[in-house]
This record gives sequence, C-alpha cells and structure tokens, in this order.
Amino acid sequence: MNPAAPKQADPPTPLLEAHRLCKNFGGVRAVQDISLTISAGTVFAIIGPNGAGKSTLLNLLSGVYQPDAGEIRFAGLDLVGLPAHRRVRHGLARTFQKIRLFKQLSVLENVLAGYHTRHSIPPLQYLLHGAAFRADARRCRAGALDLLEFVGLAHRAAVPAGSLAYGEQRLLEIARALATSPRLLMVDEPAAGLNGAEVAALLRRIANLRERGVTIVLVEHNMDLVMTLADRILVMDYGERLFEGAPGEVQAHPEVIAAYLGAEAL
Amino acid sequence: MSKTSPNAAAQSRERRVWYLIAAVIVAALPLFVTDSYWRTNLIVCALNILLAIGLDFVLGYAGQLNLGQSAFYGLGAYSSTLLVLKLGLPFWAAFAIGTLMAGAAGALLSFFAVRLRGHYLAIASLGFAVIIYQILLNWISLTQGPLGIYGIAPPPTVAFPGLPQIAFGDLRNLFYLTAGFTLIVYVLLDQMVHSPIGETLTAIREDEVSAASLGIDGPKWKAFAFAVSSAAAGAAGCFYAPLVGTLVPDAFFVSESFMILAMVIVGGMGTLVGPVFGAVLLTILPEFLRSLGDMRLIIYGASVTLAVLFMPGGIVEAFHLLRHRLFPEGEMR
Repeated sequence: MNPAAPKQADPPTPLLEAHRLCKNFGGVRAVQDISLTISAGTVFAIIGPNGAGKSTLLNLLSGVYQPDAGEIRFAGLDLVGLPAHRRVRHGLARTFQKIRLFKQLSVLENVLAGYHTRHSIPPLQYLLHGAAFRADARRCRAGALDLLEFVGLAHRAAVPAGSLAYGEQRLLEIARALATSPRLLMVDEPAAGLNGAEVAALLRRIANLRERGVTIVLVEHNMDLVMTLADRILVMDYGERLFEGAPGEVQAHPEVIAAYLGAEAL
Repeated sequence: MSKTSPNAAAQSRERRVWYLIAAVIVAALPLFVTDSYWRTNLIVCALNILLAIGLDFVLGYAGQLNLGQSAFYGLGAYSSTLLVLKLGLPFWAAFAIGTLMAGAAGALLSFFAVRLRGHYLAIASLGFAVIIYQILLNWISLTQGPLGIYGIAPPPTVAFPGLPQIAFGDLRNLFYLTAGFTLIVYVLLDQMVHSPIGETLTAIREDEVSAASLGIDGPKWKAFAFAVSSAAAGAAGCFYAPLVGTLVPDAFFVSESFMILAMVIVGGMGTLVGPVFGAVLLTILPEFLRSLGDMRLIIYGASVTLAVLFMPGGIVEAFHLLRHRLFPEGEMR
C-alpha cells in the first residue's frame, strides 16, 4: 500500500467535520479545541500517547459522549445532541477499544444484531412470521455470513462470541459494525493484542474497506499499521492537537517525536 | 450460507407444530380434569403462566429485573373490576382498558427508571409494587381497602347464532377462555423473541452501550419490553377477579412478585417454554403438599432454593443435560 499523499492534492468532499470540540471530565480536559476534517474514502488516523484523549474524541464523534463545546457535522448534518443510536442510521459505526461483544450470543447472532436498522418487515409479521419476514431473515443471514467471510470468521459462526480468541473478537467487532452498513467506520485500537500475522490480515481488510468506499477513522498505537494505511494523521497529546499531516510529515515532525520518545530524543 | 436458511424455515415449521400440540393439550385437559377444585387450579396455572412468560420477556430477554409484576397484576384486576362496577362498562371493554393501563404503567415505570439497571431497577420496581399495594389498601372509598370487593361476576355469556351459549360461570369454559388467551399470548411472544425484536432485546441485555453503537434505542426498547410484560400481568389480573369473585389487596402483595420470579427462574429464564413449566410446577406442587400443613412452606422454599443452586438454567437446562446424557450422540431430532 502506498501512503496516498497525492490524494490530498485536490481537496475531496469532507464527510466528517469537527470544529473546536471540547470535553471535560471534572477538572480533566480530555479533549480541548480539536478540529478535524475527514474526506470521504480516506483513512484518517488519530495517534498519541495513552491518555491523550483519542478514545474520548472517538466517543464524541460516535455519540457516547456529547461535547461541552464545538460542532460536529457529518455529510452536512449537525450531529451535536444526536444520541449514539441515531447516528448509526446516518451511517456512522464504531468498534470499542475494550471489546464489547454480546458474549453469550453466537458469532452469527452478534453480526445479525448489527442489522437492527436495516430490517424490512411489516410490523404485524413480527407477531406472525410470514413470507416477508422469512425473506428478510434470509437476506440478513446471508449478509451476516458474507461479513463473517470477509473477516475470516465464517467457520466460527455458531460458537459463542465469548469463546473466540482475542484477535478473533476484534475482527468480530468489525464485522458487527459493518452490518450497520456504515459510510464511516471508527475503529478503536483494532490491532491491540494481535500478533504479526493478524495485524497483516487486519491491514489488508481495512485497505479493502477503503477500496469499497468506506471512510475509516483509525485510533491505533501500532505505528506500522498507521503509517501504511493512513492518508492523514492527527497527533494528540494531553487532549490537544499536536500536529496534523500526512504520514511522512508526522514522522519528521520534532514535537511528535518528542511526545512519543521524550524531549531528550531531540 | 444456503445451508442455514432452510434450517430457519424448518425451525419455524417446528414451532408451529408445538403451538398445535399445546392447543391440543389445552383442549383435552378439561376432559381428564373434571372436578371443580382441580379445574380451578388449572385456571390458576394458566394465569400464572401468563404472569411468568410476561416477566420472562422483560427479564430473560431484555435483562431488566422487574419486581413490580404483582402491582401490574393488581392494577389489571382492580381497574377492570372497578370499571365494570363503578362505570358500568362491559367486561371486555374493561378487560382491554385494564390490560392497557397495566401496560402503560409498565412503560411509565421503565421511562422513569431509565438510568437504573440491575439491583437499582429491582429496588425501584419493588418500591412501585409496595406503593400500588398501599394504594389498594388505603384508598378505601375506591377499593374498599382490606374489606375487599365481593361478588364479582364472571365474564358475560357469549352466544353465537346457531351454537349453544358459552357461560363463563362454568369452570370448563373459563379454563378455555384463560388458557386460550394465554396460549395466544405465548405464541405472539414466541414469534417476537424469534424475530429481530428478540435479537434487539438480548443485545440490550448483553451490553447496552454496544447495542446503541448498532443503532438500538435502549430506553425505547426497554419501555417496550416493560409494557408487554406488565400488560400480560394486567390481563392475568382482569381474569383473576371474575375467577375468584373477590378482590383483596393481599392477593397482590409484593411476595407475589417473588413467586412469579421463582416460576421464571425454576423454569429457566430466557427460554419462553421454561417459565411455563416453572409456573405449572410451582402452582401444582403446593396443592400436593397441602396435607403437610405449614411444613409445605418449608418444603416449597427448600425446593426452590435447591433448584436455583443446582440447576441455575432451570428445568429447561436440566432437560437438555438429561437428553445429552441419555443420547450422547447429540442432536437426535
């Protein structure tokens, strides 16, 4: 994969824009004055040391938290005040840093739950299943199995999600989020706890998703993954924006190196 | 992927066969049970099943511990009876209003308890049950308090042209009415839990934040589950009043909520069929223990405790384990 720097030459249409977002928890300024513009069809990475506010930013974008100040616009729509579940219908999906699968449900059932907003069943057929109900069930099942195929978990469809290996659970979270048919997918540290081969497979899949037109927001510590995939990188530290640029620029930036390696490295 | 879809169709057909078997059992029971004492017990069974499957819908599927079931039961019983007595409404109109009122009260309770879960929701719903009990006891001008309401008439006789009249003073007919209604509610709930609604409710039970990330509106669906659950209890109450003919607040004391909870747990929560067995067992068992006097309470309590300790998945899980042991090859069907 090429770090696709040339893409930035002519500014593409922004899909997600945030302007001067702030979020405090008591006295802690978790996110301070963050602005960003994410273009459709790109991979936007957010990096920074632990506690830099990356996950809080993701929670603001996905609606788990509401910002204290600032604006968020998604494809022209004002997202501030919109709860998380409503944002899903507009095409935002996410995974969680701390895995939050439905552990007692099967792998397939986890993905099927992701079809919540996409059923087309006449209300009465929920009470008495008819032809339309069965057609919908077939459609969702086939789609869910395709998604499991995509993340390489089709052979595990029937086992409880809680019995999957750690890396598999991360992939299942991605498949479940994809079931909502997102235009923008936010993945929170998808490579955490994965081995080298798994990271390579994850990289291929995220690249594949971008080719399918899904815009990706990637919060990640694995620098190889970020530098290979990202079109644009936002570096955060202490809740603030430290730098934003293409991968090459980020790697060369002295303040970024300082934040990661300590000031002595300069 | 094509191998799983015919499977789903087969399961759907299999469910319909079970509905039919249940209907045959309901139709046949009064032929074997002829004395009025046991017929009354059968009707009580049907009402307890209605209460238990209603509770299981909100507890076993949506994962919300509702200890207010006794209050919704009482709301249905008192409101339908009072609508008939004080306003002269026909029984079936009162039945519909009583059921809807209990359902609305459930949705309202869920709405106010939206930030509560687990133990906190349990305490809030328990508080609600205590409040309703106290209202029934103390609003004497309306409910006659501990004196009770007497002489409640059975549902009005139904007459279809060309057929013999169906009088509900007859216990056999009252059984068909209550058991038939319970069976219909069972079928509707069973269809719902095997639809995307079931997926949605279990997603909320497992992890609400995660469910929201899939577009699921947790508070709305919890209110829905609460409304369905409490409406079922309300309907049971509407039938209870004409069955017993007498209403006293003590019939809807908080302990009734725990009885219903025991039926769900002993049967196996999160499976709709489990609470049916739980309700039948815990309704009939005390009748057999009646000759033991007060000892029966000890035996009853001990058996519930042992059931919870040694088969936490209830009767349904015990059945699956037994089948697995007898037929170790696995799926026999």
